[in-house]
Amino acid sequence: MSTTTITRPEKLVGKRIRRREDPRMLTGTATYVDDVKLPKMLYAAFVRSPHAAANIRSIDISKAAAHPGVTAVYIGQDLKDVGSVVCGVDLPGLRKPVHTVIATDRVYLVGHAVAVVVAKDRYVAADAADLVEVDYEVLQGVSDPERALAPGAAAVHPQWPDNVSFKFEQKGGDIDAAFAEADVICKQRMISQRMVANPMETRGCVASWHAADRALTIYTSTQIPHLARTILAGMLGLDENRLRLIAPEVGGGFGCKLNVYPEEAVVSWLAMKIGSPVKWIETRREHFLTTIQGRGHVDYWEIAAKRDGTILGVKVKILQDLGAYHQLLTPAIPTLSVLMMPGLYNTRNIHAEIIGVFTNCVPTDAVRGAGRPEATYGIERMVDILAAELKMDAAEIRFKNFVAADQFPFATATGLNYDSGDYATTFHKALDMIGYKKLREEQAAARQQGRLVGIGISTYGEICAMGPSPAVAAGGWESATVKVEPSGKVTVLTGISPHGQGEETTFAQIAGDELGVPIDDILVLHGDTSIVQYGIGTFGSRGTAVGGTALYLALQDIKEKVVRWGQLLLDSTNVTFDGGLCVDATTGKSVTIQAVAAAAYRAMKIPAHSEPGLVATRFWEPGNFTYPFGAHIIHSEVDPATGQIDIKRYVLVDDIGNILNPMLVDGQLHGGASWGLGQALWEHAIYDENAQLVTGEFMDYALARARTMPWLESSHTCTPSPVNPLGVKGVGEAGTIGSTPAMVNSIVDALSPLGITHIDMPLTPEKLWHLISAPQEAR
Amino acid sequence: MKISGSAQLPFPPERTYELMQDPAVLSRAIPGCEALERTGDNEYRMKMKMMLASFSGAFDGKVRLIDPNPPNSFRMVVEGSGKIGFMKGDGALTLTAKDGGTEVAYDGDAQVGGTIAAVGQRMIDTTARMMIKRFFEKLAAEA
Repeated sequence: MSTTTITRPEKLVGKRIRRREDPRMLTGTATYVDDVKLPKMLYAAFVRSPHAAANIRSIDISKAAAHPGVTAVYIGQDLKDVGSVVCGVDLPGLRKPVHTVIATDRVYLVGHAVAVVVAKDRYVAADAADLVEVDYEVLQGVSDPERALAPGAAAVHPQWPDNVSFKFEQKGGDIDAAFAEADVICKQRMISQRMVANPMETRGCVASWHAADRALTIYTSTQIPHLARTILAGMLGLDENRLRLIAPEVGGGFGCKLNVYPEEAVVSWLAMKIGSPVKWIETRREHFLTTIQGRGHVDYWEIAAKRDGTILGVKVKILQDLGAYHQLLTPAIPTLSVLMMPGLYNTRNIHAEIIGVFTNCVPTDAVRGAGRPEATYGIERMVDILAAELKMDAAEIRFKNFVAADQFPFATATGLNYDSGDYATTFHKALDMIGYKKLREEQAAARQQGRLVGIGISTYGEICAMGPSPAVAAGGWESATVKVEPSGKVTVLTGISPHGQGEETTFAQIAGDELGVPIDDILVLHGDTSIVQYGIGTFGSRGTAVGGTALYLALQDIKEKVVRWGQLLLDSTNVTFDGGLCVDATTGKSVTIQAVAAAAYRAMKIPAHSEPGLVATRFWEPGNFTYPFGAHIIHSEVDPATGQIDIKRYVLVDDIGNILNPMLVDGQLHGGASWGLGQALWEHAIYDENAQLVTGEFMDYALARARTMPWLESSHTCTPSPVNPLGVKGVGEAGTIGSTPAMVNSIVDALSPLGITHIDMPLTPEKLWHLISAPQEAR
Repeated sequence: MKISGSAQLPFPPERTYELMQDPAVLSRAIPGCEALERTGDNEYRMKMKMMLASFSGAFDGKVRLIDPNPPNSFRMVVEGSGKIGFMKGDGALTLTAKDGGTEVAYDGDAQVGGTIAAVGQRMIDTTARMMIKRFFEKLAAEA
């Protein structure tokens, strides 16, 4: 104990602290699933159907089983005791097909597994998989949701010949009156095309069985370690506390690892059956065929407005291409589109219908924004279409309809409660940054010269921080444990499962500020169900807003304990704790948190009503979602000779509440924008009329690349969220959601002098060139 | 996928027709053909190797020659499958005497699936054309 001059350590929150995850990645020493190598480990390869729909007449495994180096070959019947793949969603009347982990009598999509080979290495396994002979009776498949609904279409599941899985309807206000009162009604059919998730690291898992303990360890590349443990334990008939699931380094997820897949159960079953560890790593080609995809919407939008631009009502009919099965959240994704269909606009009247359609394609599910990008794209296109119809400026019509800053919390017509916002201020900032008025003048001048110059606006909102438990399929709370070790080092255990979001850094910033310890003294652990208390995981821009809040609350508990120990050690009741020091306000004497920790574990004396140790765990249930928003504006020009797009400027102003680390926020927004532009301009998972995927590798499926990305002029406004004490909203999906409509609006604006009012994505140069070259009536 | 075109062969239609029904000749002429054995009237079992884009693989299949109308026309139905997927083709071949030889016109439909469709789609059209061209070149060399 000593009297010290108190110099508070500099605050960590708000600083551009470098990612503490990066050294191991940059030095190639991170442990991904494929880096896990266990003694006597075997390798699995799946035999997959080349047909979208077929009956399996017979399977001959004899040649494969006899192949040198092969341990075993199994078919669907062998795994009949393994539970089927889980869908966590219930909707009224939802038809859920039974999704066995390996097909038994019929295949429903190209890539459907029909057998699995286990061998001494992955090359032998792949060679032997080619020797499995399957006799198929080929049936007609269907890939297009509109064709699947047409009379006479092939039935994906014979028991449901209409190919409808569910219908959903939601109404708010008086939509009929709104449309009756309207001066203008605009309608547009638009497609949000199927997209492949494509993280750099594909899926993969390693399972190891410890028979004497009836214990299984699974390493799997997942966003939801605990939920995956619970689900897999159920599928395998294991006690969940004897199943240890480890998400090691995860090389991106983008939603596709917010799931539990057949392969994870099969590989686990193989390890149990054979008694040796088994590994399977998804190839990129398998990823294209078998991992959930995003979007798959055909949407029919209608917007009704007064002559002055006031929006009176919005309708949408969504045909959701579900694929052949429901994965974990498949049917829930289009309901998120419905929730966000009003966007940022003060629209009291809505009507939405969803028809969930089975097709012979890989299931759709939560990918890159999950349902909200489709909604934002739809409403932001419709507002532009309405503005064009009314000959109003695209910015003016938005200002006219924004929910005003004094209306928050704002109850939407879809039943949400927007937490906080100031849409006009954010939009003004973006317009100022790009010099909107002058740019419009330049555009008018350029058009005089016949140039195709466009300005595209997207004022987007999103629903984040998933979310209140009653509104989320598997619970929406999150957990954190803080352990101040005897040495004063701090270990944080979080229930979220970061895979690129950087919470090992931001959570260390939060803990460092609250406890006043150096950031290097803090270790953030996650993704191991034997180390971390139960958690929900990372998705829906929830990591910091929900998991960070649980951490913040656990830190408050620690601080209360520290004060009690400080009172004991300083023999005073007048003790405060700040900047890592307990200070007796009367004497000025102080004691460090490190000294407190040592005393708390040594426990020579214990404060009244307290206990030894310095550990706290909190589970936090959010009271609401959070609602980030922003304005993205893209200035572009199309070359009429080639259809090539030149993005001249891209300004984005995002309001994500308080910012913990501006560098990480930049990274999330840049990555998000590259996905969003990818959808607008390049990406498209195409199935042909026989439901064959014809874009099954990167030669046929284009992603954004560094050289195709524009410079992003990024800024922020800050409207803290009242939902959590950190005031944060979430940033993981903002870039994806905001960028796509801005890009498409920009190009449609550029081509509007040609009479073009809408173009379906992706806006490839070829597509634009054909439109520009076509005679007026054919556009 | 639609496949149509024509090729000129230096034989009269009768000889051309005969060559195109001869398994020994066909096995020499079909690019990548490793075996062609007769399994019935106008029906053959075929093994062939195919290279496309970044991959190659063996196909095991059936060739059937139907609707014979010598020496004017016949139809060829091909079905094959292997580790890289499957292919199905159905085409009409019409033989017409021309310039002292025969013009063979072909018109058909082909369908592919599996890996070959997923990663080879952009190459299928040109590969098919190239294989047809080679087939007729080899056939012409049977003189």
